[in-house]
Amino acid sequence: MILYTPLSETDIFPTSSEIYSNRHCVTYDGKSCFVEKQADGTYQLLQLLSTDPNDFLNENYTPGTILK
Amino acid sequence: MDQDQIKTNPNPQNPQDQGNQQNKSNLVQKIQQLGQTNVPQAPDSNIHVLSIIGQIEGHVQLPPQNKTSKYEHIIPQLIAIEQNPKIEGLIVILNTVGGDVEAGLALSEMIASISKPTVSIVLGGGHSIGVPIAVAADYSYIVPTATMTIHPIRLTGLVIGVPQTFEYLDKMQERVIQFVVTHSDIPEEEFKRLMFAKGNLTRDIGTNIVGKDAVEYGLIDEVGGIEDAMYTINKMIKQKKESGSEVIQ
Repeated sequence: MILYTPLSETDIFPTSSEIYSNRHCVTYDGKSCFVEKQADGTYQLLQLLSTDPNDFLNENYTPGTILK
Repeated sequence: MDQDQIKTNPNPQNPQDQGNQQNKSNLVQKIQQLGQTNVPQAPDSNIHVLSIIGQIEGHVQLPPQNKTSKYEHIIPQLIAIEQNPKIEGLIVILNTVGGDVEAGLALSEMIASISKPTVSIVLGGGHSIGVPIAVAADYSYIVPTATMTIHPIRLTGLVIGVPQTFEYLDKMQERVIQFVVTHSDIPEEEFKRLMFAKGNLTRDIGTNIVGKDAVEYGLIDEVGGIEDAMYTINKMIKQKKESGSEVIQ
């Protein structure tokens, strides 16, 4: 089925609230991180919220890291 | 498989071997995550970088597939930059399509009122409410290929259909215009002319200005990239230190 519509995709297929509730902003090791809870209960780093350019060179905070 | 390992490795309890194995699994995890094994380390930086990317998110949470810069994340970072004595300057990197007008104006005012030197660079795009954020810094740069769309503000969603709504919108628009005019060299009439121009954006109202044009209109200070921005901010930090020491004398 093809829908031709001026509406945005999310207006027709709303995002499940589960995705919102799985995402949190936490402080990990003194740094603010935006994380997503995985199915196995671990947290995966989505985004490091920092203005220090050196934090982005720290390999422990690369996006996708599983935080312990 | 375990037996094989024991055969080839006569002492499985050897801590070095265990360490090696853990290293290896870390390495595999890193390759899976980022496609690279390690990133270089550098000494502490006195210049912090704030990247404003994607949509500027205000009161309404956007669906998770959108890349957003969240107001509630950026404001505390700006406060921390202002308060931390080790941080001497701020570079704002912009690649935004715009977003919430009030959130964007709040960020602009925050950046404009920071006591430390600030430099902004528009990379890719600094559209809509990205324009006030770009001009809020003490000195602004735009890369030659970046664009900025100037257009009248608009509202999506449920709107109460009373004449006051239009007055409210008009006032909000005036706030954006005033901020841009007071923080850049563009004359008010010129900015309004670009904002309400017809024929530039197919059938929409507004103008899309590219790199050099933004400088010619007086909206942005200079065309340049990271090198120029770093040079300028270091110069500003030095000037600030010198003027500070004179006051003490």
